[in-house]
Amino acid sequence: MSDISEKVLAITVQVMGPASRRFLERQTKFHLDGLEFDDLTKDHIPELSKWVGISAQLIVDDKKAAMLAETIKKLG
Amino acid sequence: MVQWYHSIITKLTVAFVILILVIAGLSVLYTFGATKSALKETTQDELTALASVIATQIDGDTLATFQPGDEETPEFIQMRDQLYAMQTSSPEILYLYTMKQTSDGIAFVVDAEYGLSEDSAGIGDVYDTPTEEMKAGFQIPIAEDEYTTDQWGTVISGYAPVKNAAGEVTGILGVDMSATRVIERQDFIGNIIYLIMLIGIGITAVIIGIISKTMIRDIRSLNDSAEKISTGDMNVLVTVERNDEIGELAGSFSRMVSSLKIMMMDDSP
Repeated sequence: MSDISEKVLAITVQVMGPASRRFLERQTKFHLDGLEFDDLTKDHIPELSKWVGISAQLIVDDKKAAMLAETIKKLG
Repeated sequence: MVQWYHSIITKLTVAFVILILVIAGLSVLYTFGATKSALKETTQDELTALASVIATQIDGDTLATFQPGDEETPEFIQMRDQLYAMQTSSPEILYLYTMKQTSDGIAFVVDAEYGLSEDSAGIGDVYDTPTEEMKAGFQIPIAEDEYTTDQWGTVISGYAPVKNAAGEVTGILGVDMSATRVIERQDFIGNIIYLIMLIGIGITAVIIGIISKTMIRDIRSLNDSAEKISTGDMNVLVTVERNDEIGELAGSFSRMVSSLKIMMMDDSP
């Protein structure tokens, strides 16, 4: 797992809990052209943060979703 | 729904009100006791000072000459009027009188109300139950330690020696203050203390009630979410945000719910 993947996972677990990896894998698979989550690089962060913000709204409240997206975006 | 008597609000409020009652009760007991004692000491000091000042105005040589039957003499009437004027000049003073040692005991000499009141004492009327303070009044200005009840009512008295021109003690001057006035002062202070305690308890109960209500509101919100999930409704959002233990619980609960949702999304066709 890349260093950036670990960081994104650690941040997401704080909000989404133990199923965060599944959630992130789904985002990279469907919105980053089938990218494996473990192969994430800094270049993918802006696109990933955008889709995390959108998808997380279905799971947590809008405020938390926006905050998570913003935190991930700062890793880029 | 939890019964009101099992509610955390009720338990917290009752617990804190009991705590405040115990603390305030003990404080009131101590404060009231100390205030009562201080008030009594102040009254005793006032009486002693008053008796000392008035005693210096009394002619000790003339006082020594009065014998039973002298009540109509100009000297007696002059001294009685002098005492009466002093007695009526201060609302604090109930009775003013002079006494001296006789072979029968301590007897009245000039009573400020002699001839003006039915139950006043004449020259030579022996005081039946002289106290130690009354006897000590022939040596030093002093006040009674306790209230005394006699035919003139319940009073607290102060005494000071009356001296003649040679500086010899020829009698004592007695000042009586009504116990009612002192008790009224004590009651007033006691009522103020009780009032402050009641206001304090009221304010505390309201503050605790408000704090408990916000706590219980958030716990109920979490409980409602758990209830929905337990019935299969995953359409819940945990919106509780606090910096305390309830906030931590809400955070953990929120992560658990989020993960459940993610897993259910994956399992859905």
